Amino acid sequence: MSSSILRGIMLFTLAIVLGFALMGFEMLASRYLYPYFGGGINTWASLIATVLVALMLGYLLGGALVDRTMSPRLCGFLLMGAGAYLFSIPLWVDPLFGWTLRNVGDGMVGITFGATMLLLLPLTLISVFTPFAVRLLLTSVSFGGRLVGYVYGVSTIGNVLGTLVTVFTLMPLYGSRALTMVFAGIIVLCGLAMVAAHRFLRGSAE
Amino acid sequence: MGGWRGAARLTLAAALAAGLAGLAAVPPQAATGRLLEKRESLYNNIFVFRDRDTISMTFGHNKRYFTESLINLKDPGALSIEYARYMTLGLAYAANTGRILEIGLGGGSIVTYLNRALPESTIVAVEIDKDVVDLARKYFQFQESDRLKAVVADGRAYLLRDDSKWDIVLLDAYRGPFVPFHLLTREFYTLVKSRLAPGGVVVQNIEPSTMLFDSAIATMSSVFRSVDFYDGRENVVAVAHDGPAFRQADLMTRAASVQTRYKLRYDLRRLVAERRVLRKPRGKVMTDDFAPVETLRAIEQHNQKWKEQTEAPR
Repeated sequence: MSSSILRGIMLFTLAIVLGFALMGFEMLASRYLYPYFGGGINTWASLIATVLVALMLGYLLGGALVDRTMSPRLCGFLLMGAGAYLFSIPLWVDPLFGWTLRNVGDGMVGITFGATMLLLLPLTLISVFTPFAVRLLLTSVSFGGRLVGYVYGVSTIGNVLGTLVTVFTLMPLYGSRALTMVFAGIIVLCGLAMVAAHRFLRGSAE
Repeated sequence: MGGWRGAARLTLAAALAAGLAGLAAVPPQAATGRLLEKRESLYNNIFVFRDRDTISMTFGHNKRYFTESLINLKDPGALSIEYARYMTLGLAYAANTGRILEIGLGGGSIVTYLNRALPESTIVAVEIDKDVVDLARKYFQFQESDRLKAVVADGRAYLLRDDSKWDIVLLDAYRGPFVPFHLLTREFYTLVKSRLAPGGVVVQNIEPSTMLFDSAIATMSSVFRSVDFYDGRENVVAVAHDGPAFRQADLMTRAASVQTRYKLRYDLRRLVAERRVLRKPRGKVMTDDFAPVETLRAIEQHNQKWKEQTEAPR
């Protein structure tokens, strides 16, 4: 198998796994928010808006960074940062949300602040991966449209699986703190893989 | 890209919210009568029906109607739904009855009854849905005063923010057919316990037809030393407090003294006579971390099975 095919397999696998973890953690986030801000549609609105903002920031940042550096290692470090953040969440989430509820309240500002603290940084760092994957796989502009389609399509399959499997299979079996640790571990491993495969993923990049 | 991703997430969130269905405040029944008003609030689809002299507040869910509250216009002081009468039992258990908190207002029939019966008590009802409070005022003769107040808030958020103490806490929060998970965990009951005055009690309306009931009572009894049950026909009413269990004769004496003092329409002595005490809970304790309410609720059990975990008191 040519190394460009292997490169593709590796990056598409990472796209699925990271897509899974990203949406899986969004679903878990609801469990952290409900006890403080209630379980209404307003909590979901803040949650979804925050995730979309994180995706936007991640895409912008990732695009800018990959053009400048072409460095899979950098992307790997950012992913490890996201995983480390997730690891830390159970340590501070209860005191912080308690404080938020008392001082900011449970309105839009309070819930969005809670969702932001939980999700914005790690999800931004995870979604940096997508533009990196596109650029690292892009060898010819004439293939660019399809490539972008594939990368987004594959990572969205990961999103869909992450949403459904987390809610219908994982959450009925394991606690949300334990699952957060598992997702954190998976994201760190993805980051390590990118750091380790730095040269290979750069490949023939100019 | 962002557009359809956002749409997909919204759809999933909506499907999830719909999929959270299960516990019934009162099992669904065919809605009868003339529709007086329909409101789509932030939390519920609320339908108010009138059937001859009865007005009902129902939440529509999965094309079924779940009755939250009933009022008989010819006899507005009556507690028309059986379980509501047992919700007044906290009066027999509590050391004092001056401060009562209800989470989940509905039509407000329970707090209205208590407010009329207890002239010295202050009652606060926390209700998440502003439209439910409006409709309670409009159709169910819910009238606020110095002694009866409604607060629009999530029940748990309210307790977290307000650390005043209560003699009786009534838990009756249903969103259509189900209790939100964060009002069923050990952390929630621990919070409620921390807001009880000495000798305070918690009275909860629980729907017994699924496995979730077992977990709910296991969770309650992991926090409170004594938990008693009453068969409110369709629903079960649990009374929990942190002291040792009352001897039946003592409880009857307390009920009799409160009854003599307030001349309650639904005689506490008759209600207390139906007490069952918890023998051994068999469910799994739910926590904020792990509360698979959807899965538990999907497993139905026979309506009367809960009695196996309880026995007649001594």
